[in-house]
Amino acid sequence: MAEENGSNLKQFTDGVVANNPVLVQLLGMCPTLAVTNSVENAIVMGAAATFVVVMSNLITSLLRNLIKPHVRILIFTLTIATFVTIADLTLKAYMYKVSQQLGAFIPLIIVNCMIICRAEVVAIKNGVGRSLADAFGIGLGFTLALAILGVIREWLGAGTITFPGFAPIAVMPDAFTANGHNWIIMILPPGAFLTLGAVVAIVNQLRMKSEGGAA
Amino acid sequence: MKKFVDESWLVLILGVVFAVMLAGAQTGLQAKIVANEAEALNTAVSEVVPGVVDKEELTIDGNKVFRCLNAEGKLAGWAVQAVGPGFIDKITIVVGLAPAFDKFTGVKTLKHTETPGLGNKIDTKGELNFYPLQYTGMKATVPLALVKAKTGAENEIQAITGATYSSQYVMDIVNDVIERVRPKLIEQR
Repeated sequence: MAEENGSNLKQFTDGVVANNPVLVQLLGMCPTLAVTNSVENAIVMGAAATFVVVMSNLITSLLRNLIKPHVRILIFTLTIATFVTIADLTLKAYMYKVSQQLGAFIPLIIVNCMIICRAEVVAIKNGVGRSLADAFGIGLGFTLALAILGVIREWLGAGTITFPGFAPIAVMPDAFTANGHNWIIMILPPGAFLTLGAVVAIVNQLRMKSEGGAA
Repeated sequence: MKKFVDESWLVLILGVVFAVMLAGAQTGLQAKIVANEAEALNTAVSEVVPGVVDKEELTIDGNKVFRCLNAEGKLAGWAVQAVGPGFIDKITIVVGLAPAFDKFTGVKTLKHTETPGLGNKIDTKGELNFYPLQYTGMKATVPLALVKAKTGAENEIQAITGATYSSQYVMDIVNDVIERVRPKLIEQR
């Protein structure tokens, strides 16, 4: 019992750190690049994706003994599409402004390979506890990675940090934006690639150091 | 037939279950979504037509037009909802016309997906955004022209630096209101 719980916890933390979907596995790059132009967009996207991966892993794990191998991708996609649509409708109802900002990227969660990957690698083969631990870990890892990128891009690109549901908080002196010193490029697509590259480089360096140290 | 059902019964059942869940979500949330869209429209109308307390909806040549009444029940102005292509995707704006159809009382962007930091300055957010405020008081009788620097002519709209296309697209929608919708509105009011 204790051993199984221990490995559920490891499954969870792996999803956040060692196996982070964005910074280590490099999955879900499209929303990562597109919606990290503000912290608000990044966190809401992360939350929506977490909801979908949790529900998808839950349903897949509950039905794992009934799903025949040759229809499993179809069933995964059906499940993911349903919950993404529910998330989209919920955002349109309760967070209208953010839903407008995210635009087409919420429906695009359906094709985020991170989610179908967890169903295929974990949920189809494990019990509910393990699958949920994995889903929450991956969801949290995704949200954190997006939030880190969002903070960097919004700070340098607009001089603000915006939390979901709150007005933007100015984190740079007025002269930064008033005189146009803010790095517009950071909130444009090239800035997304530059920031992601820099953060992944730092993460890789840390990983190599920790592996080198352990060996 | 038996083989078909054997292989796919789970898919069929899940299909039905998920369809029911989606129908439920849609039914439950649709009212709120429609209310959100109406609220966004109301806010936009009250920003472009000063003093509006009530409005009646008409359709003029495919555009939604609101005849806005002020607190005394008199005509406060007209609000025209107009859509046009934008730099990325469609832009929806609300244009306020004075009661005599001679001037604009405001332009507000309702829906757009323009580039954050550049094209999204077509939307009034904060005191630094001059672009939409230019339309207030502009004559609605002649088409407007986009310029990079104003020369003093009366129908000029200055483009946003770094967002010429977005500025152009919004102005094109306003010009369409001037040329197509306004004459019909005057006729059919």
